[in-house]
Amino acid sequence: MYIWEAVKVAIDSILSNKLRAFLTMLGIIIGIASVITIVSLGAGGQKAILGEFEKIGVNVFSIKTRNDVEIRDSDRLTIRDVEMIRKRLSSVKYAAPIAEKMGLAKTDKVTKRALFIATDFDYGNVSNLKVIYGRFLNEKDILLGRNVILIDKESAKELFGYEDCVGKSIKIGSYSSFDTAKIIGVIDSGNLKSLGGSIADQIPVIAAIPITYAQKIFPDVNISQIYVMTYNQNQLDETSSQAVRLIESLHHNKDKYKTENLISFLEEFNRILGIFTAVIGAIAGISLLVGGIGIMNIMLVSVTERTREIGIRKAIGARQKDILTQFLIEAVTISLIGGAIGVFLGYILANIVGPFIDITPVFSINTILIAFLFSTAVGIFFGIYPAQKAAKLDPIVALRYE
Amino acid sequence: MIELSKVKKVYNLGKTQVDALKDVSLKIDKGEYVAIVGPSGSGKSTLMNIIGLLDKPTSGSYKLNGTEVSTLSDDQLAYLRNRQIGFVFQSFNLLSKLNALANVELPMLYAKIPSKERRQRALRALEIVGLSERIHHKPNELSGGQQQRVAIARAIVMNPSFLLADEPTGNLDTASSVEIMKIFYQLNESGTTIVMVTHEQDIANHAKRIVRLRDGNIIQDTLVPNRITY
Repeated sequence: MYIWEAVKVAIDSILSNKLRAFLTMLGIIIGIASVITIVSLGAGGQKAILGEFEKIGVNVFSIKTRNDVEIRDSDRLTIRDVEMIRKRLSSVKYAAPIAEKMGLAKTDKVTKRALFIATDFDYGNVSNLKVIYGRFLNEKDILLGRNVILIDKESAKELFGYEDCVGKSIKIGSYSSFDTAKIIGVIDSGNLKSLGGSIADQIPVIAAIPITYAQKIFPDVNISQIYVMTYNQNQLDETSSQAVRLIESLHHNKDKYKTENLISFLEEFNRILGIFTAVIGAIAGISLLVGGIGIMNIMLVSVTERTREIGIRKAIGARQKDILTQFLIEAVTISLIGGAIGVFLGYILANIVGPFIDITPVFSINTILIAFLFSTAVGIFFGIYPAQKAAKLDPIVALRYE
Repeated sequence: MIELSKVKKVYNLGKTQVDALKDVSLKIDKGEYVAIVGPSGSGKSTLMNIIGLLDKPTSGSYKLNGTEVSTLSDDQLAYLRNRQIGFVFQSFNLLSKLNALANVELPMLYAKIPSKERRQRALRALEIVGLSERIHHKPNELSGGQQQRVAIARAIVMNPSFLLADEPTGNLDTASSVEIMKIFYQLNESGTTIVMVTHEQDIANHAKRIVRLRDGNIIQDTLVPNRITY
């Protein structure tokens, strides 16, 4: 029998029992729809996160003091460490110290909390920081410990009423003492502050100042980490350990420092994503299993109902293979239609849910193909037994069946 | 040509055995019109099923057009049923979901005949049985006589060597029965070999030859002296 004829017979049979066919498909529909929804949202999330990572650059690592051992003052990272890393390690392209300090920033009218990132001229190169007005810190700023500052554009608007406030002065400091700094640049604050409402008020001014200036006005400021960028991504591991050894020799200590990079971050991220995918796979598997059992059940009913039809077909010349094909195609058709509805539903669902969790779903042809492949496999696997049962019916017995 | 020699059929019904056919030898030539008659339980349906390749004899030999068929596989038998034999049943046995035309096309589907040719041949077969209208109707929209004519069209569409009819008029009124017998007569006149099981004497009298069965044996095999013709 031609495959297409069998497909027509299958569709006729499904159409003559619409509700029953729909209920049979439900397991497959739910399984495929949930997989498509979650996988496309997962892929969308992954794409967004990878995009962020790539902006920063993947050949960057950071050195920090370990937080699981005792750290003495002599162990703390210094500006000299940064200079030595730049000077001694040939694979290092840029290196920048980071010290973070909470304080206040005020103009004549407004006072706001501020997060000061004390660093040096290389910071702009190792981070994804964007200067939109003015310039970033330069070598002289660091050398002389100049009282210069960059603030984010949202804060600039709040403090001055407009974004381009280069050349203005601002008072910064902790609660008792303040110093006047000159604004040399405005940085893009990203989408952190675009949230609006009361949350925006909680977000402090983000400000970058020279590390040497910070040491003048904040006596207790400490370098929390050093960002290092290598020339190549494959230099990361070796340079990391070289840098640690260098700092250890400068401080005459051991096992006080650790390094982190985005590659290990990415690996961790991918590992979590892998677990996530496996869990989804298991859920989908169970759902498809239930769906498949539903198909097998309904196909067995169908074979019994159509015993006489099978007898007639055999009497006029259908071979076992023809009957087998017919019922198998019917099972596969049911599961494929279920799969198609599932893909469609998953697409709709992902697009509805996506905006709520701020993810643009990504649909890949592969996911959809795999969904159809799985539906077909379920149809064949659970359809083969009923189809064999039909194919093996004795024509005389089948013809007598009422 | 059908050649049965010393055919025996035993059914195992649990502990007891039933000899449906005891020792049947029968030869039917091309172009014949044979009625198999006998009371119920005489074995005429069993004989029909064996001739129609739906069942296999327990022992003995059956040659269809010279080929020994008692040793063939199920699929080989299906092939022969498709090409050599056309069935007409008492209860028509049309597929209820298909219309008349599609029912007639069905055997050609299993012979892998292209759809265009299928349609042409089905239309011709329906014309032969006098049913050129209502061919797009489903069986339940047709009268009994019309349904049986569709069934005959389906049986002859593959140009089989034999037309086997099992009580073809059993579910029909007299007028329809006459119509069906007229079609059989014309088919036989144009060369189709017909073997028909019936328990009605006046239907049997349409045949050229009557084979009478009782208790699994042929008790009489005679030509019909005054057969009904049209």
